[in-house]
Amino acid sequence: MLEMRDIHKAYATPQGDLSVLDGVDLTLAAGASLALMGESGSGKSTLLHLAAGLDTPDSGEIILNGQRLSTASEPERAALRRTQLGLVFQQFHLVPSLSVDDNLSLQARLAGRDAPDWHRQLLTRLGLAEMADRYPEQLSGGQQQRLAIGRALAGRPALLLADEPTGNLDETSAEAVLTLLLELVRDSGCALLMVTHSARVASRLERRLSLSHGRLLDEDTAPDTLAAPGKDAR
Amino acid sequence: MPWPNASSLAMVRTALVTLLSHYRRHPGQLAMLLVGLWVASALWSGVQAINASARDSYARAEALLSPNIERLERRDGEPLAYADFATLRREGLPVAPLIEGEIALRDGERLPVLGIDPLSMSAGRLGSVSGNLSKSAATASKTDDGDNSLNLLQPPGQTRLAPETLASLETSLDASPGARLRTASGARLPPLVVDAALPPGTLVLDIARAAELLERGTRIDGLLLSPGARATLPEGYRRTSSASGLSPGQLTESFHLNLTALGLLSLVVGLLIVHAALGLALEQRLGLLRTLRALGVPGPTLVALLAVELVLLGLAGTLPGLLAGLWLARVLLPDVAASLEALFSAPVGATLSLPWHFWAGSLAMTLGGLATAGLGMLWRTAKLDILALGHAQPSPAQSYRRHKRQAVLAAIVWLAALVLWVWPAPPGTPRLIMGFAMVALMLAGSALCLPVLLAAILEGLKRWLKPPSPRATLARWALADLQLQLPRLQLAMMALLLALATNLGVAGMVGGFRLTFLDWLDQRLVADLYLRPPPAAHEPWRDWLETRPEITTLLERREAETRLISQQGERPVSLQGLTPVPALTTRWPLLATRSDDIEAAWQALRDGEALINEQLSIATGLSPGDTLTLASPDGPFTTQVAAVYPDYGNPRGEVTLTVERLITRFAAPPGSLGLVLAPGLSASDKAALRQTLTSPLPTAGEAPAPTLIDQQTLHRQARQIFERTFAVTQALTALTLGVAALSLFTSLLAQARERRTRLAPLWALGLTRTTLLGVTLAQLGGLALATALLALPLGLTLNGVLIAEINVAAFGWRLPLHVFPASWAEALGLALLVALLAAALPAWRLWRAPPRQLLEEFNAA
Repeated sequence: MLEMRDIHKAYATPQGDLSVLDGVDLTLAAGASLALMGESGSGKSTLLHLAAGLDTPDSGEIILNGQRLSTASEPERAALRRTQLGLVFQQFHLVPSLSVDDNLSLQARLAGRDAPDWHRQLLTRLGLAEMADRYPEQLSGGQQQRLAIGRALAGRPALLLADEPTGNLDETSAEAVLTLLLELVRDSGCALLMVTHSARVASRLERRLSLSHGRLLDEDTAPDTLAAPGKDAR
Repeated sequence: MPWPNASSLAMVRTALVTLLSHYRRHPGQLAMLLVGLWVASALWSGVQAINASARDSYARAEALLSPNIERLERRDGEPLAYADFATLRREGLPVAPLIEGEIALRDGERLPVLGIDPLSMSAGRLGSVSGNLSKSAATASKTDDGDNSLNLLQPPGQTRLAPETLASLETSLDASPGARLRTASGARLPPLVVDAALPPGTLVLDIARAAELLERGTRIDGLLLSPGARATLPEGYRRTSSASGLSPGQLTESFHLNLTALGLLSLVVGLLIVHAALGLALEQRLGLLRTLRALGVPGPTLVALLAVELVLLGLAGTLPGLLAGLWLARVLLPDVAASLEALFSAPVGATLSLPWHFWAGSLAMTLGGLATAGLGMLWRTAKLDILALGHAQPSPAQSYRRHKRQAVLAAIVWLAALVLWVWPAPPGTPRLIMGFAMVALMLAGSALCLPVLLAAILEGLKRWLKPPSPRATLARWALADLQLQLPRLQLAMMALLLALATNLGVAGMVGGFRLTFLDWLDQRLVADLYLRPPPAAHEPWRDWLETRPEITTLLERREAETRLISQQGERPVSLQGLTPVPALTTRWPLLATRSDDIEAAWQALRDGEALINEQLSIATGLSPGDTLTLASPDGPFTTQVAAVYPDYGNPRGEVTLTVERLITRFAAPPGSLGLVLAPGLSASDKAALRQTLTSPLPTAGEAPAPTLIDQQTLHRQARQIFERTFAVTQALTALTLGVAALSLFTSLLAQARERRTRLAPLWALGLTRTTLLGVTLAQLGGLALATALLALPLGLTLNGVLIAEINVAAFGWRLPLHVFPASWAEALGLALLVALLAAALPAWRLWRAPPRQLLEEFNAA
């Protein structure tokens, strides 16, 4: 599904180039889930942006669903994001001027994949069916993040990329959102790459990788937790 | 990667709907955009509609009778008759006779009448009367043209008139096509026939019918000569050009350019609103744009969709604006038409007549302006950093850098304005265009400079205020908050600056002109009554008046036309003959004389020298002591310039000689007689004299009664013309100020919610809503006052430039600079009023906001 080979990325700073990723290799199979951990500034979000085609590596190769992302043009990467990827951000990034219903179907419609049955099912499972006509500002934080997750999955992407999806929520909401996210990912059959600070959140995913000083340091295999939500998601 | 069409369309549709959904949640911004476009388009198209209608009238007037066509006159000065036409035709010259006059209709309305001989003139379409006579003669025998001529000639004939003329007659006389109107004397006109090619306000008839109506007998008023005619004329005749040699279009060019400049200013002010609204909409949608990019909408698609949004908004704002502009033009056109008629004798219909290019031009100008205002938005979108989230507000360092760039740019623009002022205009560049370019640069430089100066004032005040008093702390917060608001309010403040400065400049110019003009009018209108006897009765009337004890002085005045001959060529000038008696010379104002001796200048006039008006002096460079040569029936007449006099309201160059000189050298026909009445004349004596003066004189045979007008009536008429001339200017400047107020209001409304987010924490910290309301109003009022204070020197400079450059270039006369401190106070008051009115609604909403809403804003802050 996703293959990243020997990825290098550095940013120019007044003190000289700052290497963020230094030869990262990562593979994620279809339907699998992976937690990417690491300290602030370790390059987790950069890696996620590269996987989403939002940014390009200085060197290395990224292959998404058989297509070479690292050399694709901007319109090609945009098309891949639209049709193959779902993105969930810590800050939600919902469209304030669209209703809950319209926000939910936004990416699916952009991709020309609006499926009314799946849309209705998502609305119900996200617990937003009663508030479909509301606007994001009228929702709680947890509801907004659930809506963002729904938006990412409404187009049935092949890969869901989530950047600290529960980082802005209280513990109760975070737990509920994470459980819902994992259930929906499992049901839709897409792969999941999640960036998180939290070991407890990471423990709910199949695999965990840790980024430090631009390198993936260790990898282990966790028990299948997708069907069994943990007690503390954070 | 190629996309399936359906998918691509779905993406475009969804992205466009998402982008536009912003305005559903922010209707204030949408209103701001549409209002900006609406007013910009309305004011611009209104001015253009006036100009286009007037130009259409000029074109038709020129099509009827070109001002450049040559006329013939008798060398002996005798009036022309049909016998002269026959003589010249027998000599083989392509000439056409013409009768010009005025008839009074049953309701008292007077209309110019033109009597033509269609066979000799063009034998064809009346619309090409002035065209090439040879060509017309060649086509005279053709049947289709002949039909038209026959209609005019064959009983009952035709009275051809423009649609506008018929429309005005419909109102007053219930006239319709085919109707036969009656004159005041009971005669019937031939049936009315509408001819769209004719200028408004003129009736065209066959020469025989016109001669009958005007009781001309065998006399004719002109013989038009084909431009292709041979150079030599039979003995006893000579060529002459028409009165001025200038077309109405040329004469009124400055007037229309002034209007265009004001229209352009309104357009710019309106587009400032649009620019501010677009900037705000973009700033608030940066997150949305990045989200859309992240969700897979390509950057170029987003730019294209925003361009589509601009076009949609443009059409939605511009089309109603065009309609509003037409309404505005309809309201203003009668005043403009009256001014143009009074000032330049230019025929302009009081109803709109718009060619197709008016619509295309107005639409293109407004949409072009919108595109210019929206380019920045499209550029920022194209350069959007997809990974940089939430950096909409510029940092202080960014603001400082931007202000520095703006200050440099403002200095360059001001420098360019100074260069235009100092540098002589390149050959061929009209001085008026250069003047307007200078004013435009001056205004642009000042507008660019404004945010920099306001930021500096705020920073200075913030440093000056020392905490820890609660009042100073709050004031410092208010200043800091205003600094944050400045980027969003700066365009509205620029609009306010431009509007206030223009108001001050124009008010100063018009006010100064009014004072000077009225003063000049008092000096020039020396006589109590002005009498114009019929030419045949002029001598008997003068002889009779000279015997009357009620009249102390008789001021005869005559007029003629000639050409000023110089090394640069010939130019048409008017000639005026005066009677330089003390009653006139002691009051008549002179601008420049030889060695500043006014009495010597008048004596020089008596001795045969000339006075010239200021317009002629500026246009030719002639000054007292210079020699001038005029074409006269007896050959060139050379004399010296004794003095230059002001001549406001006259668009043409004029030379003044004594009446005797005008009669002997230029065979000037009889003119008017000014009567200075004896002091202490009783009201009944005055009434009796007026009664006599409005009746035919028994010793003058069958000549009709003269025309009499008193000084007060002339004064009132002149004032009316003056007020009408500047009514449009003042209306447009006032509207520009209204647009600026609207700009400020919409800017405040658009950011009202964000303001509450900033004010909610203060409320949470213990300030009452009344205090917050006061702070808000004080912030806006203070900013507007600062802008108005900066507008004062700009307005004064503008006033100076309008008087020293624009006025001289446009009208040919200079005015003294008058300063009106009351108008400064008015400008400051207006700015404050505008700001408080604009701030009232957002402030009221804040004051009325329930605590729960403020709490939510506080949580969101």
